[in-house]
Amino acid sequence: MNESPNRRAILVGFFVILGIIFFIGGILMVGNLHETFKNKMEVVALFDDVNGLQKGNNVWFSGVKIGTVSNLHFYGKSQVEVLIKIDTKTQQYIRKDAMVKISSDGIIGNKILIIYGGTSTSPEVQEGDTLGVEKTFSTEDMINTLQENNKNILAITNDFKVISKSLAAGEGTIGKLLKDDAVYANINATTASLQLASAKAQALVASLADFSANLNKKGTLANELTTDTIVFKSVKASVRQLQQMADTASAFIANLKQAGTNPNSPFGVLLRDEATGTHLKETIKNLESSSQKLDEDLKAAQSSFLLKGYFRKKAKTEAIETPEK
Amino acid sequence: MAIFRSRKYIFSKGLDPFFSGVQSAYSFTALFFKEAFKRPFHFREVLNQSFEVGLKSLPLITLTGFIIGIVFTKQSRPSLEDFGATSWLPSLIGIAIVRALGPLVTALICAGKVGSSIGAELGSMKVTEQIDAMEVSAINPFKYLVVTRVLATTITLPVLAMYCSFVGLYGSYVNVHSEEAVSLVTYYQSAFSSISFLDIFTSVSKATIYGFTIGIVGSYKGFNATQGTRGVGKAANQAVVLSMFLIFLEELIIVQVANWIRYF
Repeated sequence: MNESPNRRAILVGFFVILGIIFFIGGILMVGNLHETFKNKMEVVALFDDVNGLQKGNNVWFSGVKIGTVSNLHFYGKSQVEVLIKIDTKTQQYIRKDAMVKISSDGIIGNKILIIYGGTSTSPEVQEGDTLGVEKTFSTEDMINTLQENNKNILAITNDFKVISKSLAAGEGTIGKLLKDDAVYANINATTASLQLASAKAQALVASLADFSANLNKKGTLANELTTDTIVFKSVKASVRQLQQMADTASAFIANLKQAGTNPNSPFGVLLRDEATGTHLKETIKNLESSSQKLDEDLKAAQSSFLLKGYFRKKAKTEAIETPEK
Repeated sequence: MAIFRSRKYIFSKGLDPFFSGVQSAYSFTALFFKEAFKRPFHFREVLNQSFEVGLKSLPLITLTGFIIGIVFTKQSRPSLEDFGATSWLPSLIGIAIVRALGPLVTALICAGKVGSSIGAELGSMKVTEQIDAMEVSAINPFKYLVVTRVLATTITLPVLAMYCSFVGLYGSYVNVHSEEAVSLVTYYQSAFSSISFLDIFTSVSKATIYGFTIGIVGSYKGFNATQGTRGVGKAANQAVVLSMFLIFLEELIIVQVANWIRYF
């Protein structure tokens, strides 16, 4: 019995529909095929708070998507165990001591898991390993911190507001410094004086420098005074002798003073009695005139015959001795 | 096959006519490709049908596209305002309209207007035996009636879709301008900055496929109309429903393929 045309049409239609279904299914699946055929391994992370992490969220390592969150469920009292499926090709780069943290893809993006860190000395991560977890700050925590900062800034700016108001009004030390002309003049004068003093100090320092240079220059008195112990000792002895002389002179002057105060002593008479002074002057005058007369008499005596021979003999002796010298 | 021969129905009373219809549609489509590349070519009739399908649909497309642009912008604004990102509106609307809304809205309107028109026209010709008369007059009715109409919808739909996208963007611009006082040039530059060649290519490809679907479904339903005047209405109705269903199915497939190419 031959198949009727109607039956053949039904079967063709069935296979056409089947072909269309396979075509559509293939098209829809083709986008995910490369994910399906990848070899994956599963690791675990235990979080206290997953901040809205969901099944299917991406897992990043060094900024590259290497897997997804395959499941989440509660663990223990309140912890959440997150099962992470990662591509086995990346296994060699992830170490057992690597850490996991929850982040977000952009500011408002989906939650993602980030695997980071790990030391090269640590072995590769294996199927079923539990990775360490880093507690991350949620957006709410950050906002709370920012709020605290805002309060502090507000308090600081309020203080500055009060200070600037006082400054503008010329109150307080700095305010007066800014506003009072007299203070400015004083400061100006003080500055000028300081400049002068500074110049003098500079000259003094220069002199001291010269002096200190001379102290270091060998052969100078200053250097020997400071360095030569023998000179120092002799100077010390001289100073001691000068001190003794000064003491003696002082005692002598004291005696003279005492003698001068006594009118009966010869020194007192010389100092205080005017009549004696007059007599003394006349006596000296008489002595001068007597000595002149005596001189004349002696000259006359040299010319007398009695003494003439003596002086002639003396002159001859002197004349003989002089050429020999 | 021996199993099927012994049974009254191959699958069931409902499924057998369905599969039979699928085979009929498949044959109809295969015949179109066979006839489309065979002489003689009825260019004038293609032009006439393009005028009927394209130019007469223009007012409806203009109004719908403009409204779609305004409505979509109004709906998107609050979400973007929450993030202070209203400056992204042109880019968002540009992508949405060029990639999806422009071709889809055009196809749906044409499915309703042109698809039903083709279904009803060919259906009435079928039930009044005008098609049989053409065959008697040595005119290939399939080539003259079906191929010309399908080609007309396939050619005009991409043009209408592009036009709809531009009008939709203008509608969006009107809304954006009223809020942000952006110039038309700036708006279009911003909107097209995020649209790539692949987006335009996909959009045109989509519209071409939708056009072909509308034409072939309308023609098939009309060409196979039965039961007199009742059958004409039924053919027009089925042409619209099936066209729309297939358009959404094609949208799904094309988006998947486009994304696959985009991220390949």
